[in-house]
Amino acid sequence: MSRHNITRRGFLKLAGATSIAGVTGVTGFPSPLHASMSESEKSSMFLKYDRGVLSPSFCEMCFWNCGVDVYTREGKIHKLEGNKFNPNNNGHLCAKGNSGIESTYDADRVQFPLIRTGKRGEGKFKKVSWDEAYQYIFDKLEPLIKEYGAQTLATFMHGTGEPHVHTLTKALGSPNIVVPAYSQCLGSRDMAWMFTFGTTPSGHEPFDMANSKHIILFGRNMAGAVQVREAEDFAQGIANGAKLTYIDPRLSESGVNATDWLQINPGTDLALALAFIHVILRDGLENIEFVSKYCYGYDKLVEHIKQYTPEWASKKCGIDAKTIERIAWSFAKDAPHVVAIPARRMTRYGNDVQTVRAIAIINALMGNWGVPGGIWVRSKVPVKLPEYEEPKQPSARRADGVGDGEAYPFAPPNLGRTNGMYEATLKQKPYPIKAWLVYDTNPIYHSSSGVNNILKAIKNLDIIIAIDTQFSDTVMYADVVLPESTYLERYDNPHIQSDKIPFIALREPAIKPIYDTKGCYDICKGIAQKFNIQRWFEHPPKDKINDLYGSLEADKAKELRQNGVVRFEDVDPYPIASGAEPKFNTSSKKIQLYVSDLEDMYQKNGDDFSPMPIYKDPPLPKDGEFRLLIGKTPRHTQARTQNNWILLELQDDSPVWMHPDDAKRLGFVDNQMVYIINSVTKVKSKYPEKLKVTNRIKSGNIFIHHGFGHRTKAWTRGYEKGTGDNFFVSEGVDPISGAAAFNNGFVKIVKALK
Amino acid sequence: MISTVNQKSNKNQNLAMVIIGDRCIGCDACYVACKTDWDVPALKESYRTKVWEVEGEDNLGRPTISFLPVLCNHCQNAPCVTVCPTGASFQREEDGIVLVNSDMCIGCKACMIACPYDARYYDEQKKSVDKCTFCLPRLNNGLDPACVATCVGGSRNFGDISDSESSVSKLLENATSISRLKEDEGTLPNVYYITVND
Repeated sequence: MSRHNITRRGFLKLAGATSIAGVTGVTGFPSPLHASMSESEKSSMFLKYDRGVLSPSFCEMCFWNCGVDVYTREGKIHKLEGNKFNPNNNGHLCAKGNSGIESTYDADRVQFPLIRTGKRGEGKFKKVSWDEAYQYIFDKLEPLIKEYGAQTLATFMHGTGEPHVHTLTKALGSPNIVVPAYSQCLGSRDMAWMFTFGTTPSGHEPFDMANSKHIILFGRNMAGAVQVREAEDFAQGIANGAKLTYIDPRLSESGVNATDWLQINPGTDLALALAFIHVILRDGLENIEFVSKYCYGYDKLVEHIKQYTPEWASKKCGIDAKTIERIAWSFAKDAPHVVAIPARRMTRYGNDVQTVRAIAIINALMGNWGVPGGIWVRSKVPVKLPEYEEPKQPSARRADGVGDGEAYPFAPPNLGRTNGMYEATLKQKPYPIKAWLVYDTNPIYHSSSGVNNILKAIKNLDIIIAIDTQFSDTVMYADVVLPESTYLERYDNPHIQSDKIPFIALREPAIKPIYDTKGCYDICKGIAQKFNIQRWFEHPPKDKINDLYGSLEADKAKELRQNGVVRFEDVDPYPIASGAEPKFNTSSKKIQLYVSDLEDMYQKNGDDFSPMPIYKDPPLPKDGEFRLLIGKTPRHTQARTQNNWILLELQDDSPVWMHPDDAKRLGFVDNQMVYIINSVTKVKSKYPEKLKVTNRIKSGNIFIHHGFGHRTKAWTRGYEKGTGDNFFVSEGVDPISGAAAFNNGFVKIVKALK
Repeated sequence: MISTVNQKSNKNQNLAMVIIGDRCIGCDACYVACKTDWDVPALKESYRTKVWEVEGEDNLGRPTISFLPVLCNHCQNAPCVTVCPTGASFQREEDGIVLVNSDMCIGCKACMIACPYDARYYDEQKKSVDKCTFCLPRLNNGLDPACVATCVGGSRNFGDISDSESSVSKLLENATSISRLKEDEGTLPNVYYITVND
C-alpha cells in the first residue's frame, strides 16, 4: 500500500472483491429496536439542495483552463462543477480543479500590497497602499531603465493574466518575456512537432485516443499529469479496448491498463523509437500512399534508419528485439487509427527534440494525420474577433539566447527561455538584468532549474516585483508584492481556444475580492500609470467580454450567455479522412521526415543537429549514484497547490522511490528516512524523506514527485512538506530548443538517523 | 457521461453505483468533489469516498497497480442499521439508500465498528456519525452524485438497477466481470465493480 496510509482500519486487507456468482440470498437481519421516527421524517433533512447562484468561469488551478460552473450560496462559494459545454473537460473536474475554492478561502493568501522590510527571503514586509506599491516600483525601476535600458527588466509569467503583463513589459520597452512552459516543460516537444508537422501538440493535445486502436505512450503519464479532456479520451480509448504500450522506467498511474509496459532504460527512448521506424520501413509497414503524398525526405530516411536495428536498440534501451518487432507490427496493423505520444514535460535528457522527432516520424509513417484515432487537426474560432492595438515589439536584443543569430534561433520569442534568463541574470550577460517582474510563477526554488544558481543570480537584482495570489517562495524573496484576486474573484479576458471544436469561454467573478486584491489587468494598469504608458490599458477584461458579445451572431451570443461557453462545431478535425487537402506549415510545406532547416547547424555543430535523429547515449550515473527521475502527481499542480488542505490530505509528501535490489544492496528498508545528496553540488536535502521500496522503478534510478519542499513559512500547511526536486535535477539544455534537461541529475541516497 | 438518475418513480427503486474498473485513472477528483459539497471535516480520516491504489505483482513477478474506489455500499443487509441502538442509521425502503439521521445519533460508533467497509466517520461538529448518502439531496434536485458528476474517466455510474432499461442495468448486463466487496459478509452491497474489457 503506497500513498494512502490505511489509518481508518485495515479495510483493504479484507476487501478482496469476490465474484457474485454463486452467492445465495442472505435473509435480513433483525430490524432496529428503537425506530421511533417514520422513515420519511428521518429522511427529511436530506431533501434540500440549494445549488446557489451560478457564475461562469474557467479553471486556474493549472494552466489548461477547464470550464467551471461556480455555485455561490449567500455570498460564499460552495461548489465548483465542471462545465459540460466546455470541450476541455465536458463537465468533469480533476482533484485540483475541484479544490479550487480553497485558493480563495485560504487565509495564507497575500491579502494586501507589501513592501519588504527585512532581508530577502526572511519574510518581513510592511503593509502599504496600492499607490505606495506602484510608486515604489517606479522609483526603483525608472532609474534602472535609464541606466541600462528597458531590457534590464525580465518578466516571468504564467497564468490567465499573462496578456496584461506582456503588454506592460512591451510598453516599458523590454523584449525579455519568459514563460516557464517552454524551457521547463513543453519546449522541446513543441519544436520537434513544428519541424515535422508545422504545428505543435501544445497543452491541449490533439491525440485522438478515444478512437484509437493502439496508443503508445513514450513516458507520457496521461493519468498522472492530468488534463481532463486527455484523461477522458484516454479512459475512453482503454474502455473501447485500445491496446496500450506504456514506455517508462517507472510504472505510473498510466500503466494500470497497459497491454505492454516497457521498463526502458532512461534516456534511451530515441533508440527504441528509431528501432520502431527501422522495423516499419524494413518490413514495408508504412502507409506508402500517405507518405508519398504528404511527406518530405522519405528516401533519405530509408537509408538513415538502416543502422538502427531492433538488435542494436535492444542493447541501448533494454527492451528485447522481439518485443520491439512485435509492437511495431501490432501498431502498424491497426494504422491509421493509432497514435504514438511523446512525454509532455519533454525536458529530460538533452536529446529531447530529436527523440520527439523520431516519435513524430512514427506517426507520419502510419498516415494517422487528420484521421480518427490518430491526430486530429485543430481549427480556429471562425469569427472575426475584436482586435486591440498593442505596443510594438521592442527591438532590443533578448538576453536569453533566443532570436536570429543567437544560440537558439528556433525558440519562440513569445515564450523565451526561463533557464536562459536565469543565466543572464547570474552572469549579467549579454547585458545587465537588474529587475524581475514575476507574475504567478515560482522560479525561486521551484523552477526545477539550477536553484543554486538562481539564489546567486537574484543577488544581482535591484528589484524583484511579484504579482501573485499566494505567498509563494518567490513572493518571499520579492521587494514589492502586488496581491492578485483569485480566478473566482475577477474578470479575465475571454478564453479563446483553437481546437478540435474551437470555442470561447468566459470568466466572471463569483464573489467580490475577499481581501485588498486586484485583477492582473488593474495591477498592470496601476504600474503603467506611474510610467505614463496607461494608453495601453484602455480595455479592461469586462469590456472585452462585451466587445466579444458584439462580434458574435445573435444565436452564438445567446449560447455564450446561457452556457458560459460558445462552441463552433462546423469544423473538420479529420480532413484527410474526409478527403480534404491538409496544409502543413513547414518549410517544405510537407510533413518533414527530413528537416532541411537544421542543415546549417548540422554542418557547423554536428550530430546533435542532424536533420534526421542520430542516437547518442545519455550520460550515466557513476557507481554508488542514482539517476533522479521526477514526475507529476495527479493530486497537485506543479509547485502551486501544496498549501491546499484538501490536496494535502491526498498527498503531503514525496517519498523517494527505490528498487528493492538497490535497497537491499544499501541495507535500506521500506519507509525508512533518507536524505538525497546532489553528486555535483553536494547539496543535501534539508530534512529527511521517506523511502518507498518498489519494483515500480527501474534499478539504478530513484523517483520523486515534483512540486514539494516549500520554504515559505507563510504557507502554514505546506511549509517543508515533502522534498523538492529542484536542488537535485540536472542543469543541462537541449542543444536545439535550448529547453532544460532535468533527468541527468545524479544523486546519492543516505540514511537519516531517525 | 453514461449515468442517468432514474426520475420515473420515487418508489421501489434500487439505487446502485456501478464502477467500471477499466476507466478509473486514480485521479482522486471524486474525493475532493465529495468533501467540498458536503463540508466533510478537514481531516484525512474523514471522507465519504476515496480511491485506494493497490499494488501487486503479476505471475512473472512484475509490479501491477490497480485503483479501487470505495464508498458506502448502501447494503441491502446493512450491519450498521442492525446495530444502531436509536434508529439513527436506517435504510430507505423506497430506494435502498442507507442514511444517518444526525439528530438521532448518540455517537456510540457501534455502526463504525459493524461496517465491514469502513465507510463511516464521526463528525465532531455535528456530534454524529456521518457517511455517503449517495448524494440524496442532489438526487432530489435532479443531479448526479457529486463523485459521479465529476468522474474524469467515466468510471462511476449511478442509477436504478431495478429498471432493466437504466444505463447501470445495461452496464451490468454487458460487463465482462461483476464483483462486489466482501460478498461473504452477506451484506448484499449496492456498489458494483465491473470490467468492460476481457
